[in-house]
Amino acid sequence: MGDTDDFFDGDGTMESLPTSPEVTYNWVDITTDFFKNIQDLQLGELLHDGHLFGLFEAMSAIEMMDPKMDAGMLCNRGNPKPLNFQQAVLSGKLKIDDLEPSEIIGIIDATVACIVSWLEGHSLAQTVFTNVYLHQPHSIINNPLKAYCIAVYKLLDCIRDCITKAQVFEEEDFLPMGYGYRLGSNLQSGNQHDASLEVSEQKCISMLREQEEELNKKARSQEDEANNLWAALAARIRFTRMFYQALLLITKRDSQSGADCVALLNGCSEMMKVIIKTASKGTQPLENHIPNPMGFEPMINQRLLPPTFPRYTRIKPRLEALQYFDDLVTRLRHAWKIKSCTNFHTALDFFMEFSRQRACILSRSALQLLYLSPSPAITASMAQSNVNSPQGRQRPQHAFIEILRESVKSFVNPPALALKSTIGPNPPAREFVENFLVRCVRPFAVLVQVCGHNRARQRDKLALLLDDFAALQEEAESVDALVSGAAGSAPRACFGTWILYHVLRVMIAYLLSGLELELYSVHEYHYIFWYLYEFLYGWLVSALGRAENLSGERKDPKRIAARKKKRSRPYAREGLMCQVMQNMCGGYFKALVAFKLQGKIRQPQSEFDNEAVRYKHRFAPLSVLTPPQVHYHEFCEMTQPFQYENPIILYVAGCKHFQQARTFLETVTTPDQEVTDLLKVAKTNFVVLKLLAGGHKKDSTTPPEFDFSVHRHFPIIKLV
Amino acid sequence: MSDSTVKPIEDPKVVMELEGKAKLRKWLNMNFRIEMTDGRVLIGVFLCTDRDANVILGACSEYLKGVDGETEEPRVLGLVMVPGRHIVSIQIDDTTPSQKYFFDE
Repeated sequence: MGDTDDFFDGDGTMESLPTSPEVTYNWVDITTDFFKNIQDLQLGELLHDGHLFGLFEAMSAIEMMDPKMDAGMLCNRGNPKPLNFQQAVLSGKLKIDDLEPSEIIGIIDATVACIVSWLEGHSLAQTVFTNVYLHQPHSIINNPLKAYCIAVYKLLDCIRDCITKAQVFEEEDFLPMGYGYRLGSNLQSGNQHDASLEVSEQKCISMLREQEEELNKKARSQEDEANNLWAALAARIRFTRMFYQALLLITKRDSQSGADCVALLNGCSEMMKVIIKTASKGTQPLENHIPNPMGFEPMINQRLLPPTFPRYTRIKPRLEALQYFDDLVTRLRHAWKIKSCTNFHTALDFFMEFSRQRACILSRSALQLLYLSPSPAITASMAQSNVNSPQGRQRPQHAFIEILRESVKSFVNPPALALKSTIGPNPPAREFVENFLVRCVRPFAVLVQVCGHNRARQRDKLALLLDDFAALQEEAESVDALVSGAAGSAPRACFGTWILYHVLRVMIAYLLSGLELELYSVHEYHYIFWYLYEFLYGWLVSALGRAENLSGERKDPKRIAARKKKRSRPYAREGLMCQVMQNMCGGYFKALVAFKLQGKIRQPQSEFDNEAVRYKHRFAPLSVLTPPQVHYHEFCEMTQPFQYENPIILYVAGCKHFQQARTFLETVTTPDQEVTDLLKVAKTNFVVLKLLAGGHKKDSTTPPEFDFSVHRHFPIIKLV
Repeated sequence: MSDSTVKPIEDPKVVMELEGKAKLRKWLNMNFRIEMTDGRVLIGVFLCTDRDANVILGACSEYLKGVDGETEEPRVLGLVMVPGRHIVSIQIDDTTPSQKYFFDE
C-alpha cells in the first residue's frame, strides 16, 4: 500500500483523460490505509470538503444496508431472484394455458386487491405490476385470462385518465407514475412496443363480452359443483367489462346515454355480490406477502423503484379489496345524482356532503367529471389562460358561466340578468355583468375542485381561495353600482350579496375544518367559537335575508302572492341551520369562558405561547375586503365584560343557547343525519351546562373533555 | 478541523494525526469503489467520512455481483451513506484526475 500516495501528486497518467462513455478505472486498494487514517479523526468529527459538502447534505444521503432505505438490499431483492415472464413460463411456474377456473379466479381477485392498493396511494410497480401475467398479456394462451389482463391495462389507463382530469389528488392520494409500463396500449412482448397489439376500447369490450358468453356457456353445460366456478369466473369478467364501460362513459363523456351508465353501475353492484360470495373459490394466498400463489412476484419491479423507495407495500386483503370495489360502485352511483342538481348551490352542497363521507380518490374524481365537462380543474385553468388572452377569444367555459348565471339569478334575481331586462338597451352595463361572470369562473370552478380534495388538504386550499374571492368582491361592488346607475334605480347589492354569501361559507368551512382536523388546542376554542357565533353565522343569516329581499323585490304582486303559498322562503332551512350553528357556537363560547374563569382549562405561559399571535395566525386568511376581519384587540375589548362575569351566569347563558339550538332543530320537518347528530349534541350539552350552572364540580380544576365522535365540528362537552 | 490548524504542534502524535487526515483529505472528490458485506459494489465520489469509517458517496451507482457471471445494469442511487461496519474493501480510482468541480482551498 506504500505506493498509494504516489499517484496523487503524479500527473503523467492523468493527461489521458477518458472522454468516452466507456469509463475505464484503475482501481487501487486502499482499505487498510483508509481504516488506519480515519483513526486520526475525533469522535463525531466529519472529514469533508467544507465548501461543497456539509452536515446538511450528509443528512440527505440514503443509508445503505438499512432495510427501510436500501431497496437493493438482499432482503429487499427477493430470494431467490424473481423470474420474469419468460423465465417463469419456461420453468413451468407460470401456466399460460390449461388453467383451472379456481386459478384464474385467484389471479383476478389478487389483481383486484392490487388495484385497490394502487388506488390507496401505492405505486403501480409495487402493486398491480407485481402480477407477472400483466408483463406480457399477449403471450397468454388461456383466453379469459388474456382478455382480463388486456382489460386491466385499459382499465388502469381509464382510471388514471379520470383522476388526472379531475385534478383533485395529492401525492398521498394517488401515484400516477407508470414505471415504463405503457398503460392503455397493451404491448409488452419483450418490452417492445408493437402497434399491431394495440387494443381499442371497443375491441377490449367485445373481447370481454366474448369471454363472458363463452364462460356462461360452460357454466350452463356443467351441472356439477364445478358449475358455480365457471359462473363465478363469468361474473368477474362481466364486472370488469361493465365497470370499464361505466368509467369510460364518466371519463370520456362522448356518449349521451346517461341511463346506460347507471344500468352498468347497477350491474356492477349485482356482479360484485356474486364475486364476494365466490371469493373463497379461487386459489388463496399462501404467504401473506404474495397476493396469489401463481403469477405474482412482489419483488419483480424492485430495480425500477427510486433509491429512496416507498416502504414495503402491503397489498390489501382480498375480501377488503372486493368490499372496497363494492363501496366504490355504490359511491359512483351516488355521485351520478349530481346530474340532478341543476342549481349551483345544491350542487355545491352535494359536493360538500360527498366530501364529508371521505370518499375514495376515484369516486371524488368521477364526481368532478360528472358535474362538469371539462372538469372544474380544467375549466379553472382555461379561464385563467383566457384572462390573459386578447378579446374576442373563445370561451370554452361557457357551460360553467351559464351555471353561475343561473345561480345568481335564483339567488338574488338581479334586474341585469332578467330576460326582459330594463337595461336591455344599455350595452355597457350588460357587458360589465358578462365580464364579471367570466371572472367568476375561475374562483368558483376552483371552489368545486377544492371540495373534491381530501379533507386535510381542503383547509389550505380554502384559505388561498379567499384571496381570489376578495378580488371578486371588489368587482361585484362596482358592477352593482354600475348596473344600478344605468337603470337609474337605488343601488342594490345583488352581485355583492351573492359573492358575500359564498365568501362567508368558505370562511366558516375554513374555521370549522380546523376543529375537524384537530388543529386547535382547547385553550383556543373560545375565540374560534366566538368568531363563528358573533360574526360569521350572523352575517350569513343576514346575507340570506338580504338575498330573499332582493329576489322578492322585483316580482309583480300577483306572482308574489302565488309564490308565497308554494314556498315562501327558499332559504328558510338554510337560515334556520345557520341560527342553529350560531347558537351552538354561542353555547360553546360562553361555556369555555366560564371554564377559563374557573381555572378548568390549562393556559399556556404567554411568553412561550402568546394568545395574540395565535389569534392572528388562526384568522389570517380571513382578512378579505368584506366582511372586515375582527382583530385581536377588538376581540379583547368585546369579550372584556365576560371576564368579570359570574361563571354560573355564563353557564346559564350557554345553556340557553343549546336550548335554542335544540328548539330550532326540532322544527326541521325531515331531519337528516346531520340534524339528528346536532340534536344529540345540543341536548347533551344542554344538560351538562345545566349541571354546571347548578354548581356541579364547581371547585374541580380537571379540564373538561371535548368529544367529537358524534359530530365532527361540534363536540359533546364531558366532565370527568 | 479549523481547531487543529490553529493549534500549535508540539506533540509528534498530533503531527501523525494531521498526516492521516491530510491523506483522507486528498482522497476527497475522487472515485471510490466500495464493496459491501452483502457483495454489492458501489462506485461514487468520496465526499465525507468520520471516525467510524461511515463513508458518504455522491453520484453513486450500485453494481450487483452476478452469481452466474451476468452483469446487470447499474442502478443509480445518488447520494448514499455506507456504514463503516458494512465496508469490506475500498478502492480508489487511479486513472482519472480528481474532478475539478470543487473549490481549491
